[in-house]
Amino acid sequence: MSLRDVEVRARKTEAIIALAIILATSPIIIGFSLIILSSFSKSMVTNFDPSSFHLTLENWINLLQGKSAAVGGLKENILKYTLNTAVVALGVSLVVTLVGTMSGYAISRMNFRYRKHFLLLILLLHAFPGSVLIVGVYFIYRLMSPIAMGSITTFSFFYVIIARASLEIPMAVWLMKGFFDLIPWEVEWAALIDGASRLTVWRKVMLPLVKPGIAAILLFGFLAGWQDLIYVRTFLAEKTLATFIEYNLGTLEFAEMPLVAAAATLYLLPTIIFFITSQQLLLKVSLAGLKR
Amino acid sequence: MKYKLKDFLRNKKYEYLIFILPALILIIIFYILPVALSVYISFTPLKNWNLDKYLGTIVGFRNYERFFHMLQYDPIIRNVFLTTIAFIGITLVINVLGGLLLALATYFVSQKFSSVFRTLWLLPRMAPIAVYSLVWYYFFHGSDIGTLNSFLMYLGLIKKPISWGYDIIPWGPWSIIIFVNGLVGVSFGMIIFTSAISNIPKELVIAARVDGASNWQISTKIFIPLMKWHILYVTTWQLLSLLTTYAHIFLLVQWGLVSKQYGTTWSLYIYQVAFTGRTDQGLAAAAGVILVIVGGILGYITLRILGFERMITKPRGDI
Repeated sequence: MSLRDVEVRARKTEAIIALAIILATSPIIIGFSLIILSSFSKSMVTNFDPSSFHLTLENWINLLQGKSAAVGGLKENILKYTLNTAVVALGVSLVVTLVGTMSGYAISRMNFRYRKHFLLLILLLHAFPGSVLIVGVYFIYRLMSPIAMGSITTFSFFYVIIARASLEIPMAVWLMKGFFDLIPWEVEWAALIDGASRLTVWRKVMLPLVKPGIAAILLFGFLAGWQDLIYVRTFLAEKTLATFIEYNLGTLEFAEMPLVAAAATLYLLPTIIFFITSQQLLLKVSLAGLKR
Repeated sequence: MKYKLKDFLRNKKYEYLIFILPALILIIIFYILPVALSVYISFTPLKNWNLDKYLGTIVGFRNYERFFHMLQYDPIIRNVFLTTIAFIGITLVINVLGGLLLALATYFVSQKFSSVFRTLWLLPRMAPIAVYSLVWYYFFHGSDIGTLNSFLMYLGLIKKPISWGYDIIPWGPWSIIIFVNGLVGVSFGMIIFTSAISNIPKELVIAARVDGASNWQISTKIFIPLMKWHILYVTTWQLLSLLTTYAHIFLLVQWGLVSKQYGTTWSLYIYQVAFTGRTDQGLAAAAGVILVIVGGILGYITLRILGFERMITKPRGDI
């Protein structure tokens, strides 16, 4: 542990600051807890009224069995939606990681002709998020989508993955550049002088050295794909957990809200698990923009 | 043929192409092409995504004229603009100040405690957007099931539930979208500032402590002056992202928690006009093109202010 401050700080002021932090965080804690709590109750418990809480596992059983009364008795296959969400998230994660590690290496280690322009482009796109281009992106989707109805689902998965991944590419490239920048040059020189090609150096020498970076970018890509709502609802031919929640709240009168709360809790679960297991990695990822 | 390709790839001069090609292709398909197509669509009367019927017709600048005409005379578009300005201005202040306060506050408490709370503050940014929206849907719900309403009624501050998204126009709906997006943005500032503080030599803090400086004095006299670049970075970066993101408020408007009239920002408006209800892609594309131009200019200024040249130093000792 590094030295942060002297030991003689007043305990009292520290307690006051800690209390202020807790107070400021309380809406987040209360909001999320109430949704999770509601998923174990017969009706929503969002109003501090203990009488509305009746412990039950019914929501979870109904949810996992797909016996949802949510939309007029329609069967909802929640496991399939979870699987769809996971497919999108994993796809985004892999695409982002592959592209990020390749281009990150190039701009960190190679001095090519248009390097400056490429970097400027990446930084500009990083600063100016591409989600606003969705009208054009949907237009391309329509132009490219196959006529045959059978293949449209597969195509929509493919498209939503690469389109969503592209949003994260500038960030990913910049993040990986930062990780490659930290590796000493001597390692690479040795391999290059021995006659290895850049591709071999990248694959066999560099990638093993940036494992923390790869883990960070895999996680970051996964969470980006997992949390997405807009791209999934716009392009995907099938439902995910996000669109399930969206449509069920749209029909509030018929929907069993605690069931939706259970779906939301299920949806939140991987995020929480990653939070507990890889805090430091998440903080590292969020710092990616800050490399000078 | 195969031999020649291999030869080409072996050539040192073009080796980099293999590495940047995947990124380049994705950037062309999903950034450059969409901008070009948006410009084209903005010159057509495209409606309801009926490509066959409308795509061949060019109407010149009519969509842009409509947009500016509506800006002057249509209260809906005018409200979109007022909302955008209020939303960006206030959320930006909350993001930067909130992030700064959190970073400073968590510095002065024990490390274990602060790392738990810093992680909690990442939740709004990392949680699935649909879940995050659901949380605030119930928190701000206009009836007595809303968490905020029931809390205020419990305290006796209000007699009957307030419909936050509709009642106090325009500040009710504005407060909700500002609050919901503000929480997402605070974590960005907090992380950047926390890292900046951890890079400041601690001898400065200790010397100040020995001289009897308080937390407040250490913050304002040491930390903040040394973080000027970071504050600028967070402010400009956050400005651009607030201008273009709409995912976190989309469902709040869609679900009717906040009034559409005062809960729609410019970028959300583009999405709504293009994809929900009676769609009009020509108009949406025109509004989008203007936003891209504004954003592009702001982005370029941002990079100039932050010292772009400093961020892209050449790789050392390339062979």
